[in-house]
Amino acid sequence: MASFARPSLLRQTLATTRSPLLRQNVGVSQVVAFHASARKQILPPLPQSIEGTMNDPVPVPSPHPMEGSYHWTFERAVCVGLIPLSIAPFAAGSLNPVMDAILCSLLVAHSHIGFQAAIIDYFRPQRVPKFYSLCNWLLRAFTLTTAVGLYEFETNDVGVTEALRRIWNA
Amino acid sequence: MQSMMRASPAAVALGQTMQKRPVTSNAEDPAQILVKQRLNRPVSPHLTIYRPQIGWIGSSLHRISGVALSGSLYLWATAYLASPALGWHLESASMVAAMGALPLAAKVFLKATLALPFTYHSFNGLRHLMWDLGRGLSNNVIIKSGWTVVGLSVTSALALAFL
Amino acid sequence: MASLRTTARLFAASRPLFRPASFARSYATVEAKSVDPVPSDNPNMKTFKVYRWNPDTPTEKPTMQSYQLDLNKTGPMMLDALIRIKNELDPTLTFRRSCREGICGSCAMNIDGVNTLACLCRIPTDTAKESRIYPLPHTYVVKDLVPDLTLFYKQYKSIKPYLQRDTPTADGLENRQSPADRKKLDGLYECILCACCSTSCPSYWWNSEEYLGPAILLQSYRWLVDSRDEKTAERKAALDNSMSVYRCHTILNCTRTCPKGLNPGRAIAETKKILAA
Repeated sequence: MASFARPSLLRQTLATTRSPLLRQNVGVSQVVAFHASARKQILPPLPQSIEGTMNDPVPVPSPHPMEGSYHWTFERAVCVGLIPLSIAPFAAGSLNPVMDAILCSLLVAHSHIGFQAAIIDYFRPQRVPKFYSLCNWLLRAFTLTTAVGLYEFETNDVGVTEALRRIWNA
Repeated sequence: MQSMMRASPAAVALGQTMQKRPVTSNAEDPAQILVKQRLNRPVSPHLTIYRPQIGWIGSSLHRISGVALSGSLYLWATAYLASPALGWHLESASMVAAMGALPLAAKVFLKATLALPFTYHSFNGLRHLMWDLGRGLSNNVIIKSGWTVVGLSVTSALALAFL
Repeated sequence: MASLRTTARLFAASRPLFRPASFARSYATVEAKSVDPVPSDNPNMKTFKVYRWNPDTPTEKPTMQSYQLDLNKTGPMMLDALIRIKNELDPTLTFRRSCREGICGSCAMNIDGVNTLACLCRIPTDTAKESRIYPLPHTYVVKDLVPDLTLFYKQYKSIKPYLQRDTPTADGLENRQSPADRKKLDGLYECILCACCSTSCPSYWWNSEEYLGPAILLQSYRWLVDSRDEKTAERKAALDNSMSVYRCHTILNCTRTCPKGLNPGRAIAETKKILAA
């Protein structure tokens, strides 16, 4: 009994002690579970998959300046236009409805582009296809209602800049 | 373990219980080994472990303040459009009246919470336009201009709040 | 055991007495080698916390493992510490390293929250604070500190990082350029593709599949501004879409973190200007 049990016993004790021995190496004081990956991952990516072999380049997208360089230039133009339009009404106290209308349309364009950039950044169609399209449709709908709402406010009320001025001084 | 328990000491001495790995080359497509390994790989930690620096913290605040400002504009304008149907009063006169009815501290607080994202987003937006011209892109200018924007936006927001 | 050590130390201390001075000096390395593998007399212990993950046990979560080293016996750089951990404390620790002088880019990792090359990063002498070492952020981990950079290299290949030119020079000799044109490549050609900048970029974290990232865009700009290259229009067209370049939102972590002191952020800003022109 004892003679054949010995090697197996030895192996068992070896098997149970091996991993702690390895881990409690000299100078190795502790192992703690990594907390950041455990509970909640921020925008978790899909499991890794590589298309093609290691020696193939990634596919080059076809040129689309309307989403690329033209879009970028348009975005900067809107930003630059917003600077004087957001300062002038409060500095000069002008109540020009044309200026107000331009400000509103630039604001809507700037907001739409900004939201769009955020959606593209955080919700790729490859990762969350349904949520991506939902966000895009929601954004389009809200941009439309915002534009119409601002038009209503401009035409039926005092206009955005004047309303803001009055609220601020209330 | 079971096979070892049954083995006689002689068999152990002759090495008959040694672990064997039969070669099975046709069981798996070798091209799939790496593909399967990749599926198991964890993603290394990122946002939670990166050192907080004015550059990326400021940039995330730029996006957060922009989304907050545009989001409130979108919600307010949409609510204004729907207000006749819903019976809400969002026209300027009632909003001015509501604001006027608030105590001073609440007024200042409300104005500050509205003004701070606006001033921060505006000043940081100017910084972005400077970068898009290819200027101010060295490390010390990035850090200095980042803190300048923080200082300017806080002071101007406070000034606007007490206006 | 203790008595043995003291006698050995006594013997070691007395040895130079019996030796000519020149002999002792020429064998200085032998003295260092015979030092007992325990902390020195006045140990300066620092804790290093290292990210661990083993592909052989893929169901186990990544962990942070602590190691303590005596800084008096460790070289000045983080890579020295890692190599000492691997040699003397835990041979299972896995990381890439090669040149130990910041030219190969193998030992790129996240040390104390910023991406850098371990061989160019000094160990902070403040022993009260522990140092945390992670692989490059938001990469798929092969093992411990080794990230998979396959996609990074595939993206590099996609920008055609070589001189594209059909017309031979007038005299049939090499393609020459003016000193002014050559100067445009300074600050670009030094890039060692260590991926520190790309993996510090939040935009690249979220969109590494389609966004090229700072390192590749710096390389792309290097070929865009090369006066000898003749495929500038094709290079511009390849970048002119919503993903390749324009996911850059000038966060500028790339410029802040580059261990070689280069400026990928400026290269991308100049690329955008070229594309808009």
